[in-house]
Amino acid sequence: MDHKYINNMLAEMDKDLASKGLSRRDAMKLAGISGASLLMGGATSAEASTEEVVASSDAKGKIVIVGGGLAGISTAARLTLNLKNHDITIIEPEAKSVSYQPGQTLVAAGIWDADDISYNRDDFVPDGVKVIEDKVIDFQPNKNEVTTAKGQVVSYDYLIVATGLQLDFERIKGLEYAGRAYSSGDNTKLLNALGESGICSLYTAEGATKTWELMQKSIEQAKSGKKTKFVFTHPSTPIKCGGAPKKIIYLANSRLKDAGARENAEIVFYPNGGAMFGVPEYHDAILGQFKRENFKWHYRHNLIEVEPENKIAVFDAKWQEKGEWDPVLKEFEVIAKHEKKRVPYDFLHITPPQLAPREVRESDLGSAKGWVPVNKETLQHVKYDNIYAIGDIAQVPMGKTGGSVRKQYKVLVDNLIAQMEGKPLPSKYAGYTVCPLITSIGTVMLAEFDWTVKPTPSFPLDPTVERWVFWLMKVYALKPMTMYGMLSGRA
Amino acid sequence: MQVKFKFVAYDESFDKFEQDDNEYLLELDDEQIETYNLYKDVDLHLYNWFQESEFFLDWIKEEVYPDSIGKKIAIAEINDIIYLRFFFFKVTSGDVHYEYFKKLFNLYHESDWQDREEFGEDILELLKPKRQELIIEIKEDVVEDDESELNKNTLEVSE
Repeated sequence: MDHKYINNMLAEMDKDLASKGLSRRDAMKLAGISGASLLMGGATSAEASTEEVVASSDAKGKIVIVGGGLAGISTAARLTLNLKNHDITIIEPEAKSVSYQPGQTLVAAGIWDADDISYNRDDFVPDGVKVIEDKVIDFQPNKNEVTTAKGQVVSYDYLIVATGLQLDFERIKGLEYAGRAYSSGDNTKLLNALGESGICSLYTAEGATKTWELMQKSIEQAKSGKKTKFVFTHPSTPIKCGGAPKKIIYLANSRLKDAGARENAEIVFYPNGGAMFGVPEYHDAILGQFKRENFKWHYRHNLIEVEPENKIAVFDAKWQEKGEWDPVLKEFEVIAKHEKKRVPYDFLHITPPQLAPREVRESDLGSAKGWVPVNKETLQHVKYDNIYAIGDIAQVPMGKTGGSVRKQYKVLVDNLIAQMEGKPLPSKYAGYTVCPLITSIGTVMLAEFDWTVKPTPSFPLDPTVERWVFWLMKVYALKPMTMYGMLSGRA
Repeated sequence: MQVKFKFVAYDESFDKFEQDDNEYLLELDDEQIETYNLYKDVDLHLYNWFQESEFFLDWIKEEVYPDSIGKKIAIAEINDIIYLRFFFFKVTSGDVHYEYFKKLFNLYHESDWQDREEFGEDILELLKPKRQELIIEIKEDVVEDDESELNKNTLEVSE
């Protein structure tokens, strides 16, 4: 744990608290949580503190981890803590593969800088873990080998797939030149394709910075008295951080209000889905917030095309109509209908469609939909016993958040070590995920849930209420917990 | 206790099911009633129990479809439990069937709006093997066959 960083973070938090006339102790009392859990980012307060782990397993085997992002490196770190004689290799082409992606919404709203979320991979690679700076382009699970772009064949006894996912901008007509991007790394090509025509996306670190620049321009336009239309999208594919498409709406709204420009702004959300959130309690809460803040929304709209020169977004709008009577099932058929809808915009925030990287999707590892099919509880591949997947690439319901990875990597390490020792897999992932849904600059609704699709709050507080103390946690505590707790394999 | 059954006939050449509109009543004994009550809350458990029970298969052969060895059927209804969705589900079927199969097949889409075309095709794909599991082929009594084979062999030895 970096104590200097933590002290700086605490000093910043104290300043923020003092401006509200509160001490840190008062804030903790207000939250009803312990000091340790607030300090450490108590998304799960019972486990908030870092663990002291003593290497206890003599198990041997060559472990290869494909992907050196948050999931891959956290898993490597925890394995090194548990295995006395470890043989671990990470294959990752990007030097800046480690980023604090939950902070991209804060960068996009000018609260943080891009430097606050981007890190060098090698600063987090655990001692004794080898890194191959290359990209895996072929998986051969029947031979226990992977092949890299430079032609290196790497064999393994156990494989962990942690490649993350790709942002499929090229699927949107008009943005074909943007290609497919990862959240980290050089995304100049994507930014060039998005251009200067009012289109942005916070789903890359550079894109988050660009979003803030564009947001300021659009707010200035609204402030000048010109009616300004802010359009936000949510695609038809699974996405990482399902809350982000809404967080950026709330933050733009907050910035518009701060600038005294809200009355000239129209804020409209076009989600592909038919609800604001998969968990009914949070859906209801968000809907209430949308009404309160005078946002508009149109369900079942999927962005399929942009015309940057005309500032038009084209959506595939879907609805259903009653069909013919089915005499066997004794009901009317349901006929799906759709049509293109053209929507003018001044500011268009795109949450891009997302998909598994080609090399995974087209390999024997991937499922029909591209994601790596794993037992959703053990994270072990459904076909290859010596392969596991974690994070965005794993075909696990609702699992594409850093909060999910924080639960998954411990389960994966427990199970892998047990397998190496010839024991049954002991650990199960229960689907926990957390989405600190920023509802304004200064408030967060901490949406925690699992596969029961019910709120699973870690704190003795109404989970559907927006709270300032969770804002403090989001802005000050979760990052150090991730960067210095998770990435060292201890939190 | 009497249990009301309805059946569908399976046409293998067209891979299609056809409804038999008749109702058939099966009388259960006390032990069978006890088992029935145990399984009745889980539709597929109830189906599997009947499908694997000798008394049920004998009843079909003797009373429901006599002289129809080789015929393939499936249960469409057991009292008020209806299995028709297994055999007649379509992409245009209603939400209630989608919800049922999503749960049964552990289907999960991150998108909260049901993409009927994609989801419906997934369900139909998963239904193919499931339907095969549910089909009941009316066969000759295997035990009798074995016995007659045994008798034949014995006779041969005697000769």
